[in-house]
Amino acid sequence: MRHLAFLGRRLVGTVPVLLGISVIVFFMIHLVPGDPARTLLGNRATDEAVAALHARFGLDQPLWQQYLSFLGRLLHGDLGRSILYDTDVSELVGLRLPATLWLLVAATVLALLISIPLAVLAATHRGRAADQVVRAVPLLGLGMPTFWVGIMLVLLLALKVHAFPVSGFGKTPVQHLSSIVLPGLTIALAMTPILIRSLRTSMIGVLDSDYVVTARAKGLSHRRVILAHTLRNASVSSITVLGVNIAYLVGSTLVVERVFALPGLGTMMLDAIFNRDFPVVQGVTLVFALMVVAVNLLTDLAHAALDPRIELA
Amino acid sequence: MRKPLVALATAVLLLGASACADNGSTPSSSGSGAAGGGNLTIVRAQDSVSMDNTMVFSNASIWVFQQMFESLYEVTPDGKDVQPLLAEGYKLSDDKLTWTFTLKQGVKFSTGAPMTSEDVKFSLDKARATKGGWEFLDVAIKSVDAPNPSTVVIKTKYPWAPLLADLANFNNAVLPKDYGGKTSEEFYKAPVGTGPFVWDHWDKGTELQLKKNPTYWDAGKPSIDSVTWKVVPDDNSRNVQIQGGQAQINENPPFSSIEQLKGQPNVKVDLFPSTKTDYVMMNQNEKPFDDVHVRRAISYAIDREALVKTLLFGNGTPANSFLMPNVPFYDPATPGISYDMAKAKEELAQSSVPNGFTTTFLASSGDSTDQALAQVLQSSLKQLGIDMKIQNVDPSAAHDLQQSQKYQISHSYWTMDIADPDELVTFAVDPSAGSHSFYTSYDNPQVIADTKKAEQTFDTAGRQVLYSAIQKQAADDAFMGFLYYSPFSYAYSTKVSGFQVYPTGNYHLEDVTLGQ
Repeated sequence: MRHLAFLGRRLVGTVPVLLGISVIVFFMIHLVPGDPARTLLGNRATDEAVAALHARFGLDQPLWQQYLSFLGRLLHGDLGRSILYDTDVSELVGLRLPATLWLLVAATVLALLISIPLAVLAATHRGRAADQVVRAVPLLGLGMPTFWVGIMLVLLLALKVHAFPVSGFGKTPVQHLSSIVLPGLTIALAMTPILIRSLRTSMIGVLDSDYVVTARAKGLSHRRVILAHTLRNASVSSITVLGVNIAYLVGSTLVVERVFALPGLGTMMLDAIFNRDFPVVQGVTLVFALMVVAVNLLTDLAHAALDPRIELA
Repeated sequence: MRKPLVALATAVLLLGASACADNGSTPSSSGSGAAGGGNLTIVRAQDSVSMDNTMVFSNASIWVFQQMFESLYEVTPDGKDVQPLLAEGYKLSDDKLTWTFTLKQGVKFSTGAPMTSEDVKFSLDKARATKGGWEFLDVAIKSVDAPNPSTVVIKTKYPWAPLLADLANFNNAVLPKDYGGKTSEEFYKAPVGTGPFVWDHWDKGTELQLKKNPTYWDAGKPSIDSVTWKVVPDDNSRNVQIQGGQAQINENPPFSSIEQLKGQPNVKVDLFPSTKTDYVMMNQNEKPFDDVHVRRAISYAIDREALVKTLLFGNGTPANSFLMPNVPFYDPATPGISYDMAKAKEELAQSSVPNGFTTTFLASSGDSTDQALAQVLQSSLKQLGIDMKIQNVDPSAAHDLQQSQKYQISHSYWTMDIADPDELVTFAVDPSAGSHSFYTSYDNPQVIADTKKAEQTFDTAGRQVLYSAIQKQAADDAFMGFLYYSPFSYAYSTKVSGFQVYPTGNYHLEDVTLGQ
């Protein structure tokens, strides 16, 4: 019940956020020069043809009026119609959303798979060689551009070792899974340095605490102390770091999807910006905003699940 | 907690290893080692926008619908002439106003319906009636009649030499009469033609697939079962997909990657002769570009050899004419302007701004050609006392500003669609032809008169004299700075054979076979 009420309040709270985003995106994209009609109709487009297309998509109306009709449609769940593809934006989003979700989930899972063991290793070997290596090496990842990491992974793991497809998304879930590893890893590598640092620090704090000393004194095995007592408590603060990172990495999908030719929302967004396909830019931005809101919400829920003392307000 | 994680990691790795053996685009051949069948995957930077052959200008669309639609005539592989396709031949009346075409027998649409003269009439009438599409190619046509099922009679308003070349263009392709009972919107969502391939599906922004037309009139073609165009925006990703065997053809890999690609096993690179010319456009509505001496000075100051070296990595030649070597009536003797700083200074000294001026180059951000060209030009013009600033805007905005002539100096390129210079020449030098002389507002009455005369001249020698004069005058007026001719680059798997790109940019996939 407590969680449901919290969820309800938070969902209501997203409405003004999304409204604000819609205003900013709508007016910003229209401020940039460039005309979707001319882009679509080509070099020989007559003024009449351009005007006809403007009229068809309501681009001939004053900007505030265009915004109001966009908002009106939005209230009915209608994201508008793509000028370039002459297809409903919601249909296009539906086609592209799965690849982006796969990517974000894969990136998160891989980041956890890499970060947790390394952070545990570093925290339990504090000050020793293993700790120094774990703290230093991932930092290199922070300095490397995401697209470069992606290309290196392709050259090594796809072209040399042939362990994964070089790019694309495939058609079946099995193909999706094998296609998503390298792009997921690319994003994960960018996330791990911060995750490892945060988890290591909080683990060290927990390892020094009285209840861990007590647990050890009671004769619990090292593994049990680490997994059941230390990691669970240490992860509470790292969950926030993870949440912020995922929200931030929603933006990285733009680059990673392009490098790996994933048919996701990121590539669609870039194409739409280049072609001034206003309805698609607006629609995808809102979907991205919703994703960030959802990640933040999940972070809070995960917090509460891990630590019963945390109040959901 | 540890066990599920380990299990998941193992699963991911195992699936990764097993799935890569089947990533969807290897030829699904039925034969035992023999060539034939299979799916051909072509990777490209941009998706098609529409299948409407009468209205669309995007090459990414044209190269797809050309596999489904066919015209009465087609361009020859050298790009310099036309040959019959759905027509057997024609007769031209003595007054050169009436063309009578006989249609090829036994041609069917992929629905099974036979193609008749009624379909041709419907298609040409529809193509002529568009507004803002390709109807400019058909302006000379007065009427199209279908006196019997295998005869089409086209009457022109005046003698019109480029007619066969115009009819070979994709906008004049033959579609079923009344769109086979559909609305045009419904029809173009799943188009039907007489061509070697038929519609399959289109996931917009991702991939478009056509499959073999099993009842194609040219028996034995095509060899492949299907063709898929995949959208892969990143240059590097397209290259690695060829190397990794996920795709077989890469449309237009950048010249910078050609050498690296040539060194890869199982990858071929071809540079097909093209009709692509790059040029610097100067807007004559903006001072001082209305002054011919200023335009000539800038044209002399462009180091074309250096551009070919830096931008094309040596894969091109400096341009002397605004027409290209693979276009009929191109004149290699056109005295084009080449790099000569001394002459550039002389010309500027004679101009209205002998001491130089300040101007702005409109460049597309993210376009490596624009960026390099702008920098090379900037340093050359500095020697003339011209201070050229570079304005970077994104491609859509640059396009818009060029078309609305809100620029001073900029870069663009063109390619030919038909095997006759008329389309390009009219577009480039006739300000009333819809583009204000390709957005430069160039206006020379003598050149315009010669252009109109060439349209009505049927003998080859006579047309050559006129087009040579037009090319010479256009070079002398320096209405644009012609830069270089560059080939079409294609990288493909060594499994692909029979793939050829015509100078007009199109390709015929019915001739392609896929080996094992």
